[in-house]
Amino acid sequence: MKIVREALAGTLESSDLMVRIAPREEGLEVVLQSEVIHQFGTQIEAVVRETLAKLAIVDGLVVIEDKGALDCVIRARVQTAVQRAVDEWTAEWSALS
Amino acid sequence: MPYVKCSNDFRRIGHYVRATSKDGNMTEEIISYAIDPALQSDERDEVCALLARSGLDYEQGVEAFVVFRRARRLIACAGLEKNVVKCTAIDPELRGEALGLRLLTEVVHLAHERGHSHLFLYTKPENVDFFRSCGFYPLAEVPGYVTLMENTPIGIRSYCDGLRRLRHDGAVIGAIVMNANPFTRGHRYLVDRAAAACDHLHVFVVAEDASLISYRDRFALVKSGIEGIPHLTLHPGSEYMVSRATFSAYFFKEKGVVGDCFTAIDLLLFRNWIAPALGITHRFVGTEPFCRTTHKYNADMQHWLREDVSPAPAIAVVEIPRVVHDEVPISASEVRRLLATGDFARIGGLVPPATLALLMAKYRQDRPSAARGGPGEAAVNRASA
Amino acid sequence: MKLRRSMLFLPGSNAAMLSTAFVYRPDSIMFDLEDAVSLREKDSARMLVFHALQMPIYRDIETVVRINPLSTPFGMKDLEAVVRAGADVIRLPKTDTAADVHALEAEVERIERECGREVGSTKLMAAIESASGVVNALAIATSSKRLIGIALAGFDYVMDMQTERGDGTELFYARCAVLHAARYAKIDAFDVVFGDLNDEAGFLKEVDLIKRLGFNGKSLINPRQIELLHNAFAPTEEEVDYARRVVAAAAAGERQGLGVVSLNGKMIDAPVIDHARVVLRRAEASGVRK
Repeated sequence: MKIVREALAGTLESSDLMVRIAPREEGLEVVLQSEVIHQFGTQIEAVVRETLAKLAIVDGLVVIEDKGALDCVIRARVQTAVQRAVDEWTAEWSALS
Repeated sequence: MPYVKCSNDFRRIGHYVRATSKDGNMTEEIISYAIDPALQSDERDEVCALLARSGLDYEQGVEAFVVFRRARRLIACAGLEKNVVKCTAIDPELRGEALGLRLLTEVVHLAHERGHSHLFLYTKPENVDFFRSCGFYPLAEVPGYVTLMENTPIGIRSYCDGLRRLRHDGAVIGAIVMNANPFTRGHRYLVDRAAAACDHLHVFVVAEDASLISYRDRFALVKSGIEGIPHLTLHPGSEYMVSRATFSAYFFKEKGVVGDCFTAIDLLLFRNWIAPALGITHRFVGTEPFCRTTHKYNADMQHWLREDVSPAPAIAVVEIPRVVHDEVPISASEVRRLLATGDFARIGGLVPPATLALLMAKYRQDRPSAARGGPGEAAVNRASA
Repeated sequence: MKLRRSMLFLPGSNAAMLSTAFVYRPDSIMFDLEDAVSLREKDSARMLVFHALQMPIYRDIETVVRINPLSTPFGMKDLEAVVRAGADVIRLPKTDTAADVHALEAEVERIERECGREVGSTKLMAAIESASGVVNALAIATSSKRLIGIALAGFDYVMDMQTERGDGTELFYARCAVLHAARYAKIDAFDVVFGDLNDEAGFLKEVDLIKRLGFNGKSLINPRQIELLHNAFAPTEEEVDYARRVVAAAAAGERQGLGVVSLNGKMIDAPVIDHARVVLRRAEASGVRK
């Protein structure tokens, strides 16, 4: 799928995260800010990248403000942001788990 | 566990959200929704009262507010003027981080719905940590008075990375920031003089579309107007330079500092971020014989770019006297005045042919008031050559 | 028989509550995609609940999802997501007729087949929120084998009745109608949410009323209400003691192949034994009443 517009998902509240996604031509850039970046930064970014890979997102700028969200919340917010940023959402539910 | 109920639609029960009150243990229903202050005067009056209780003034330019109500009482608000978050307040009785995060979440989403994803806000330096937790990052600070923040950790960095690719080395690297509303022979003279004094000159055209002449037209006129001048890079403007964001007047209780701060932030952004990226050593401006505000802006420039108020290297400020036509210094404001009266014969003496042609084709004025421009234009004009 | 005293509402859009609510140990958790979610967040809440349902922390707790009505643009998408994610129960809001349940059931079955979930494993409950729903309560309660219960939702109901929430008089007929329909259909009956989170005494008074009427439990919007509710539903020491003796006598009677069981010279029949088992299960779940 292709990111065609800027989109926003999530909140700034505790245990959540805010995901901002924008079109970008050359490749994927993930910018992560987190209150727990030292302990979990690598893991969070891995979850984000894996979620995007499952959706076949190869180009885009993803900025994340994490407030200590669980992995499944991260997946949900990234998927929602992508859903809002593409013209045609073609993902099967089975690809989202 | 305390709750807040929110709703975009006032009549419908909305989502429950956690809020913390002073005693940390109250359970309340809070409703959240957006208002248009121009149409909803009752709501606006309550927003004014809340801002007053929080020591803040109501700003006229705000186009939309997110408000929270508890038991009918207005307890929090955050406003938007285009992409600038303003007038953010929470009832002093209820200060709590959770409520603040909820409020900022709502205003960021509202801004997004209104087409603004890149946001700025001004706050007192002591509130920087809170807004930092809301995903806003500091851009420039006047210690003790005000900090400008943007809602991305990579905004100005990627902008400056882009600038660095256009860097030219040399002993004297100059910069001019111009609104060129419209481009006159005075601008051409300023650029000529500056370019002659530099190894390389960077010219920026103010991007904010708040002027009589559209940004697109202003940029095209500058481009054709400076043709043939060597060692020059023409840059599109950006949010980081003489924009609604960097020039947004932030009103404190102590009104005296307003003027200083609102030029300081723009100048510090230039000194701390833009100038180092391009290696700029000198900033050139035309003298301002008419307008006291612009005269002061030039004086402020001397202070914020040169004095020991920033860790970034000092930048020399060079004022170049305006070129005179028929014994009157050429200025864009004079051109706009003549445009309002349709006096193209006299305009022809002040501007290059390309500008004259465009003004005749596109900007003939029927209404005598049009040349005054909006309030946004006034700020932008004051700041630019 | 599953104990369903407390059904905790969680706004589907609230990540923090979805991540932590299991610690309050309600009998059922109800993820809300309907009224607690603003129009703007319908998509994000659906996605969040889709993931929350699959979290290991909710494996041991009954999960209910209140979807948007199928007549809205959101209802079918909600259903597609949560049946696949393994929701135990789908709560249908604003159920006016048995046909509403039949329509839902057909879609649930289709999705079960599409995603390979055992057909019939997705249970349903119907929320009754209108005069029509109350009048049709019996038809609704008996409309599907998947139904585990029906719930009265007070806010919309009183609006439909052109009145407002008060001391409970306004709900009297609806409560009785819903309860009778549920008992006739041998499914559970759930009472309305108690809205004033600060009025503990008022909450307990209402809990006492609905327990005496015979409701299985109540929908809750605040985790603080769970313990209060469970305690109110907990039997007294004497009740537990009596129930133990009833169950023991029944077991003894069964061993001896007796058709009739007696305790202290009094005959006890099947309903009494069933009730004793409920009492013991409530005691097991949250002790004796404090």
